[in-house]
Amino acid sequence: MLVLLQTMLCVATVVVQATLSSVLSINNVYPDLCLVLACLAGFLSNEYKGLVMGLTVGLLQDLLTPGGIGLNLLLKGLTGALAGMTTHTVSTVTTAAVAIVTLVLSLGCGLASLIVAYPDIKGSETFHAISWILVPQSLYQSFLAAGIFWLTHKFRHSFGVVHFAQGRR
Amino acid sequence: MPRSEHTSLPITTGLRRVLVGVFIVFLFLVLFLPRQSQEWLGQVGGPLGIILEGPLQVVASIQDSLEETWSHYIALQHVWEENQNLKLEIQNLQGEQNRLREQAIVGRDFQRLSIYQETAPMTTLAAQIIGRNVSNWYRAIVIDKGARDGIRAEMGVITDAGVVGRVVRVNSMTSVVLLLSDPNIAITGMIQASRDEGIIQGTPQGNIRMKYLPPLSPVQIGDAIVTSGLTDDFPRGLHIGQIQQVTKAATDLFQSGEVTPIVDFSKLEGVLVITSFQPPISVESPPSPETLAAP
Repeated sequence: MLVLLQTMLCVATVVVQATLSSVLSINNVYPDLCLVLACLAGFLSNEYKGLVMGLTVGLLQDLLTPGGIGLNLLLKGLTGALAGMTTHTVSTVTTAAVAIVTLVLSLGCGLASLIVAYPDIKGSETFHAISWILVPQSLYQSFLAAGIFWLTHKFRHSFGVVHFAQGRR
Repeated sequence: MPRSEHTSLPITTGLRRVLVGVFIVFLFLVLFLPRQSQEWLGQVGGPLGIILEGPLQVVASIQDSLEETWSHYIALQHVWEENQNLKLEIQNLQGEQNRLREQAIVGRDFQRLSIYQETAPMTTLAAQIIGRNVSNWYRAIVIDKGARDGIRAEMGVITDAGVVGRVVRVNSMTSVVLLLSDPNIAITGMIQASRDEGIIQGTPQGNIRMKYLPPLSPVQIGDAIVTSGLTDDFPRGLHIGQIQQVTKAATDLFQSGEVTPIVDFSKLEGVLVITSFQPPISVESPPSPETLAAP
């Protein structure tokens, strides 16, 4: 049942990403909701759940992306796993920690996508892509992940399904 | 003061009765008088009427206002409910109007595409856009037609205005189309006036450039760019855009130019996928020697 719900969440995220990107965009920069989902799965659960959710949402995203199948699968899976691993190293996963880790993972993920998507990019175009797309997008994603984490943390007792890694794992 | 002074004119009960009787007889007589003879009564009643007119008007106005207030108060209870119902109805009608307007706009777009589809010298398949920009690093759209509908990778995608892009991924029921503004797409184009050919390619900024134009090409700002038909995905002559800026450094071998696309990619709702087309110029086989030798 839980697997079905998680799969539905992944499908819903990709659908929202495909249909509402223009609504979510700020100055033509929109968040990669799939990456945010993978990160949150890792933060709120563990590295295994982050990996599985990341792989699932990455695969679905790859189906609707021009690049070859595998890039998002790999990157999102890795992102989810790394986000989960931080719950081992960071004693208390706070909203600030979520924001910083998501920012770092977003930058890494975005840089890898940039290199794969634009292999023949020139120096000035790389600078433009990093300064106008990669950095604002990473900041947006980090803000979004931190916001959702904060909300989930606040209402975790109401949801009753969130397992935090604060010494209870 | 003696009491008798107050009753200086003593009227007996019998006299009072006589006076009342006379007055009644007088009234009857007045009623039976001819109408012309009654005018003097009107003259007497005129000043009395003026005296009564003011208070009567005041009372009448108070009565009117009371009646009006009362009736409005009672009526308002119904009006409030009616108002709420009307507001709801207006909202529903506005929603309906908006939906119809949207349908009309979408229908108009698809009708235009349909008309173009019938007249265009190629076989096309109409498709609706169901998603965009799933990844930040590609400028792409997702259409609702896939392998099941006969779509294959590398097929060209157009609208009635001009070129949109190329199919790059085909799923069973959906396909991903890379837009002309993406750096990963390149198609052959030519200047319509001078027939000089070049490569049309997107940039990471989302613009379109025409590269490898001959150095002596008389390309000018505003020149129309069309497909050259050298590749298998687009027939010759489809509109791509207009030259916006021409650049050629002294060390460059070729000219290049910024192109303003004819299609607004952000407002696309429906597209046509080119499934097959005939070359515009039929290449006939050369005459055989027997044909030439025949008388």
